Amino acid sequence: MSTYIISLAILIGINAILAVTLNFILGYAGIFSLAHAIFFGIGAYTAAIAAMKFGADFTVATAAGMVISGVISLALALPALRVRGEYFVAASLGLQMLAVTVFSEWKSVTGGIGGLIGIPPVRFLGFDVSDPVLFLGLTIACLALIMIVIRALVRSSFGRSLKAIRDDETAASALGKNVALLKTLAVMVSSSFAAVAGSLFAFYLSFINVESFVLEVSVQIIAMVIIGGTGTLLGPVIGAVIVLLLPALLTYLPYLPPTEIGSIQQMIYGLAMVLLMIFRPSGLWGYGQSQDRKGDAP
Amino acid sequence: MVLLQLFLNGLQLGAIYALTAVGFSLIFGSTKIFHVAHGSAFAISGYIYWWLASKLGVPWPIATLAAVIAAAAFGLLMERFIYRPIQRHEASFFTVFIAAFGVQLFIQNLIGTVAGRGMETVNTPLSRSVEIMDGLFVAPISAISIVVAIVVFTALSYFLGRTHIGIAMRALSENPDLVRVFGLDPGRVAQYAFVIGSAVVVPGAIFTAMTAGLNPAIGTHVMLVSLAATIVGGIGSVRGAACGGMLLGLAENLAYWKLDPQWSEAVTFVVLFAFIVFRPSGFFGSPTAAR
Repeated sequence: MSTYIISLAILIGINAILAVTLNFILGYAGIFSLAHAIFFGIGAYTAAIAAMKFGADFTVATAAGMVISGVISLALALPALRVRGEYFVAASLGLQMLAVTVFSEWKSVTGGIGGLIGIPPVRFLGFDVSDPVLFLGLTIACLALIMIVIRALVRSSFGRSLKAIRDDETAASALGKNVALLKTLAVMVSSSFAAVAGSLFAFYLSFINVESFVLEVSVQIIAMVIIGGTGTLLGPVIGAVIVLLLPALLTYLPYLPPTEIGSIQQMIYGLAMVLLMIFRPSGLWGYGQSQDRKGDAP
Repeated sequence: MVLLQLFLNGLQLGAIYALTAVGFSLIFGSTKIFHVAHGSAFAISGYIYWWLASKLGVPWPIATLAAVIAAAAFGLLMERFIYRPIQRHEASFFTVFIAAFGVQLFIQNLIGTVAGRGMETVNTPLSRSVEIMDGLFVAPISAISIVVAIVVFTALSYFLGRTHIGIAMRALSENPDLVRVFGLDPGRVAQYAFVIGSAVVVPGAIFTAMTAGLNPAIGTHVMLVSLAATIVGGIGSVRGAACGGMLLGLAENLAYWKLDPQWSEAVTFVVLFAFIVFRPSGFFGSPTAAR
């Protein structure tokens, strides 16, 4: 039982990293990406290959994932610079579909549908941290570190400029903000941090395949941010806890057929998103009043 | 000959895509609501047709009528119970988008739970291919879907250009206040846009049920394609959406010439991506539309 709780806690930690990093662009910069799972995937594949082929330890494998993820995120930033709102949603959706095809077809690197099996146990600065409790510690340390960095970024002039862009892009650029550069940097920061979650995920499961990086996963991360509350530091973490505890709670309901649990869970996310948008658009942890997001789209 | 075959298949798929994209474009163009749950109208009507025609053996005109009613009702309920309450307090793009996405997620899983997650096809002699030339196979359904697409599109153009409510719909996209000044209720006009926009997906849904088949995730796929076609064609242009749908259908099939089928969706998005980066206003959009 306690192994189960630890494993759930590790998965919550990994997902909280994803939610917090997505919230950085969604909540603060107003960039709505449906492609966050790609960077989770790139981090996971890079870390797995680095560990399997080169025997890299956690820091090296994660750093490699962050760099590659940051570079590839430029493909997402490119349309973000040109267009707003609905166009960017469509572009990120396209990128997500494209990435899934690449993940499942580039067999020599990603192992295709079968994925990568036998990722070695994680080593961190020479120590073996594959024990679940130690690994939970590592996950929480990563989450805490990323939250501290994001908190600092949000409070810096960089963060204030991002919020200015979110609220009124034209006004921000009229005030001399380099909108293109700021957006690109925001996307890069968010994507590289998401790769950390991928690295943890790969080392924890010692097996990855494309299933963990599909559109449904991107949507689930969005659900965490939305349910918890966009533009807040703790909201996404709370959202991740709720979204991951839900399936665990559903399995305790005796009359639900086990094959339908996944579907019922997704239906609850869907319903929660609709109801929150109608009655409480700022999310559970958000400020009571609706946020000042008007004028995002023409 | 292979290329000609792929071209013909592409025309058929393009006709289906065009029909769905036109509905999305009509709704988005007149109400400015980014209706990403549009794919759900497609899935609902397709599954209702399959259930009535295939499972219960209902004659096709009645099954088609039921599918049209279901799609139109879905559009109407979305406008009335989801979009209107949201717009009453906050009209931001994100709020509307997330709510619509939630509906899409809900419907997709509901269909999976109720109808099963397998591929479902409506059997009909119309989808049996005939060899019309040496090595060139065409099913009657291909010709029918292209003809229906042309008929629906012509009717829609007439409707938007010549009838009162059609003109009001175009006016709504330009200036909602002016619509009110002319004594029309903008909410009522928006409802018409949702009903008609959702109903035009029905032929595409039925043809898909007869050829490629339906699965619960079809709504998401259709939503992606409609989105892509609308952007490629130019947001707010119904004619553009139809051309965009046709282009995507052709591109997807012509890609089979050199690529494996699993890349078809990727091809759609390479086309979309190229348009977003190099020509965000699409074929027929005004150059300022993206900004």
